[in-house]
Amino acid sequence: MKHKNLWLFISLLLIASMLLASCGGGKPKTSVLRVWIQWGDNPQQLQELFDKYTAETGIKVEVTAPVEPDKILPSLTGSEPPDVLVLSGGDLVKSYYKEGLVEELTSAIQAGDIDLNDFFPASLDQCQMGDKILCLPWGTDMYALFWNKDMFEAAGLDPETPPATMEELVEFADKLTKVNADGTIEQIGFLPDQAWSHSDLYVRMFGGFWYSEDGTQLTANSQPVIDALTWQQQFYTKYGADNVLALSSGWADAYMSADYPFYTGKLAMYVDGEWMTGPNFISAFKPEASYGVAPFPPPADHPERANTAVVQGTVAVIPAGAKDKDASAKLLAWMMSPAIVAEEFCFNANLPTSKKAAEDPCFTSNPKFKEFVDLMASPNAKYIITTPISLELNEALGLVEEQVLHTGADPKPLLDALQAEFEPKLQEALK
Amino acid sequence: MEELRTNRKWPWPPKLLKWKPRQRVNFRVGMLFLLPWTIGFLAFTLYPMMASFVYSFSIYHSKQPLEWVGLQNYADLLKDSLFWQSLSNTLYMVAIGVPLTLLASFFCAVLLNLKVRGQSIYRVIYFLPSIVPTVASTILWLWILNPQTGILNTLLGYIGIQGPNWMSNPAWSKPGLILLGMWGMGGTIVIYLSGLQDVPIHLLEAAELDGANWWQRLWHVTVPMVSPITLFNLITGVIWMFQYFAQAYVFRGSHSLGYPLNSTLFYSVYLYQNAFLWLKMGYASAMAWVLFIIILICTLLLLKVSERFTYYAG
Repeated sequence: MKHKNLWLFISLLLIASMLLASCGGGKPKTSVLRVWIQWGDNPQQLQELFDKYTAETGIKVEVTAPVEPDKILPSLTGSEPPDVLVLSGGDLVKSYYKEGLVEELTSAIQAGDIDLNDFFPASLDQCQMGDKILCLPWGTDMYALFWNKDMFEAAGLDPETPPATMEELVEFADKLTKVNADGTIEQIGFLPDQAWSHSDLYVRMFGGFWYSEDGTQLTANSQPVIDALTWQQQFYTKYGADNVLALSSGWADAYMSADYPFYTGKLAMYVDGEWMTGPNFISAFKPEASYGVAPFPPPADHPERANTAVVQGTVAVIPAGAKDKDASAKLLAWMMSPAIVAEEFCFNANLPTSKKAAEDPCFTSNPKFKEFVDLMASPNAKYIITTPISLELNEALGLVEEQVLHTGADPKPLLDALQAEFEPKLQEALK
Repeated sequence: MEELRTNRKWPWPPKLLKWKPRQRVNFRVGMLFLLPWTIGFLAFTLYPMMASFVYSFSIYHSKQPLEWVGLQNYADLLKDSLFWQSLSNTLYMVAIGVPLTLLASFFCAVLLNLKVRGQSIYRVIYFLPSIVPTVASTILWLWILNPQTGILNTLLGYIGIQGPNWMSNPAWSKPGLILLGMWGMGGTIVIYLSGLQDVPIHLLEAAELDGANWWQRLWHVTVPMVSPITLFNLITGVIWMFQYFAQAYVFRGSHSLGYPLNSTLFYSVYLYQNAFLWLKMGYASAMAWVLFIIILICTLLLLKVSERFTYYAG
């Protein structure tokens, strides 16, 4: 009998200790707030930034950054989500909201006295679903044309004058491309999908998008989408898609290195974001690079589309499972304050989402960066339209783009098929 | 029932009362030692498996109750072109990658079994790649396979062959991945090597006395003698290949999953995409169970077919 009890006791003790261990030792202290930042390349700087919140309020903040994309969902569905989560983009916020994973922010905005008028409208739009606000942009990105001045000069072009129209860009690209005798390519003038797809920008330049402006209809097979793909295709077909692919294979992976083709004289023009002009990219990897930045040019017959740009970038959400919503709201409000926005995005060379912060001289002193700040205020700066099917649709669109650009396929039938497949999915998801 | 129980050599349920105290203590100690594994198995293997089975008949919402859809997920799978593409990509790897790897590792093992000077050094060299972490070796191969600057196409260029676009041509991406897999086949080689060392010398000598040449000895003595090893390597290889994920995940570089043109969208990759990127847990669970059934059928088929080709010396 004695024995029996002893064994029972030991077994129970073992089970209990395992359960306790798996629960991570009980509840976290409420005086510590946890912030996860998906794209935080600089965890130490971020922690120092949030330490200022601790200094002001006495509430400790723990920053986790960067966060792998596949950790995000388990954290939101789990019982211990972060108190504030900064996502790399707004694509998934609407899906998360539909699944009940993130908070609607109206009350947090009121509680924290957050001034919505201080946000650049284009950056805030991606967070809105009807009259609901699901996220707040915290720094954002825009894309423009980068050109290598040395290569322009070598090709007999004026290094200070970028192409003024999309047609001129095609001409310039041809002059800047060198083909070897065996058909392989020595250097290329323009690669439309360098590093990743920029179809969103080109489609805007052709005057449309793959959703209706309110995001309730899919317009994937509309003329602007077809035109944008056809326009990009020529940069591949002209020199043989296989030759271009052989040259550009691995280029995207060299993004954060001195071997990047834009620095090594292999690529003369391409589309990239504002961060490239900051301290962490070109000036870190190739400080002597001589390059220019300008808004991507419009089509010749639509000069009114000048300064068209697509705004997309990091957004902050409050997970539905956050323990103390008030504390989260206060921290969110502090993050959105112009001084903090200015400090954070000045350091990382991303565009500030606060109008007041954008006045900080640090954003305007670098003329190349200022191109982007000016672009942000352009009436043609449009937010990236997101819907609950964004991610799946983007994947399918990416595949069509790849087929059109890399295999010379005709965009029309592919886009028709995509439209037929995804329009019902969109309507279903919007119900 | 009573009859059945008495016929068994091993008492179940254990009749604790009839045991001597010593036996009883042993039984309990044994159970106690099993406890950590049992809890781990129940909580982290059996429960998730059963849960995924239930989820496969539903639309899974993380915060709201499950939405029952019956066999809808399974029916949708049959209509999903990406599902079929991922399945055919995976079957390509199983049908071509596994046999090629087996053949190559068998011949490597035969060579590494020869009595030559410095043999242990060669064995180490061939085994080394298999201890390189998957992500590191895949990134290394991204450089090796770079069409313009990679070492493989450079070497091919010396002998007058223009190498293909390994990473961006959908026809060459899977062969590229198979090459990467063959580079890391050290584990299979070692298993073969152990099998080769068990081939009885007297059989080989007898064959040699009868005038069999090297090839005949290999084909008629060595191959049958290591056939159980081949079966083991084949089945583990097939199961592993059906679950092929990490290499494909890394191999696309910074492109989207499946690049180029979904040619590396393998079954597990598409499953991952559905579950963790598109939040379709129910659909992904259905995929997981279909994969389980496919693997089960393949394994049973292999075991059945192998009866004719496998020779167990014992």
